[in-house]
Amino acid sequence: MAAGLKSTSFVTFLASYSLHVNVSLAVILLSFVLAVGFLMIILSCALWSNWLPLLVALTFVIAPLPNALFSHCGADDFSTDYGEGSSPIDLGRFITAFIVTTGFSLPLVLAHSEIITSGASVMSLIGGGLVYGTILAYAAAFRQEDSEFE
Amino acid sequence: MSLPRSDYDPRRVCLNPFPFLEKLNLGKHRRTFGVYLAGGLFSLGIWTFLDAAILSAHAHSPAGEADYPVPVHVAFADWVPGLCSLLGILVINLIDKDRVRGDEGFGDSSAVWRARLFLFVGFALMAGGLAGSVALLVLKYVIPAYPDQFQYYGYANVAQNVCLMLSAIVLWIAQSGSGEYEYNLSI
Repeated sequence: MAAGLKSTSFVTFLASYSLHVNVSLAVILLSFVLAVGFLMIILSCALWSNWLPLLVALTFVIAPLPNALFSHCGADDFSTDYGEGSSPIDLGRFITAFIVTTGFSLPLVLAHSEIITSGASVMSLIGGGLVYGTILAYAAAFRQEDSEFE
Repeated sequence: MSLPRSDYDPRRVCLNPFPFLEKLNLGKHRRTFGVYLAGGLFSLGIWTFLDAAILSAHAHSPAGEADYPVPVHVAFADWVPGLCSLLGILVINLIDKDRVRGDEGFGDSSAVWRARLFLFVGFALMAGGLAGSVALLVLKYVIPAYPDQFQYYGYANVAQNVCLMLSAIVLWIAQSGSGEYEYNLSI
């Protein structure tokens, strides 16, 4: 009985420990990917000494902001529709999609007009994709912490 | 009847033309997906035209050839169809959709009439923008027979207005669905 209890507590300890390690590992990995993304964008600016692709970093950083701002404007405790059919949430998603597409099309447009080189365009695209992917992955991985009341 | 009974709704005007969409499990996230798609299309349209405008501002002759004066630029007239479509999108999205449908039982009949009038004005603005962009393409770029790199300005303008119209339609369908697998535009 005591051995069973001990082994169970050991298993739960192992599980929590591995979860803890996984979480910190995920955080370290995500921050590493984020740093690589910013490195790509800054390199794409600095190698050709044309600092216009830095706008891509700014764009992708502010991309999740409308969703974050408008996500709490939806259903409160007294409304009958559960988040669906809320206009502010739709507006936030619309603006987010607008900004993300802007971030992906800005380097292409600049490269098309030969303001920046195609190498800088590709590098800033990859860097922007890494930055936004990091933000998305972070939001998806740590979402369940504040969703216990929903 | 050859169709299975569950797939057939006699009130339905249009059958779902994309049956593969139902397999994508879009039922819960259909509205979200539609709104994201509308925002992406909107941005794509605007950036298509801005690409033409930036390209026109930085236009130069190809490398290895002598400099020649650029025959045509993107002027303010090129911006007008896009502005019309943008105004149309604003007007359409400012309308209460239940008011347009008119079967909710609130409001008087004149409100329904006015809402439908404004909806008509919005769609007329968008259709006017699309027609204006096509007219601009033909009159400004195709008839003078400019080279392809300048005709691209006109085609980009048409693509912008098509994208804005698609964005408004997708947004309308996404927001007016009642959570079922329906694609009927019940105006």
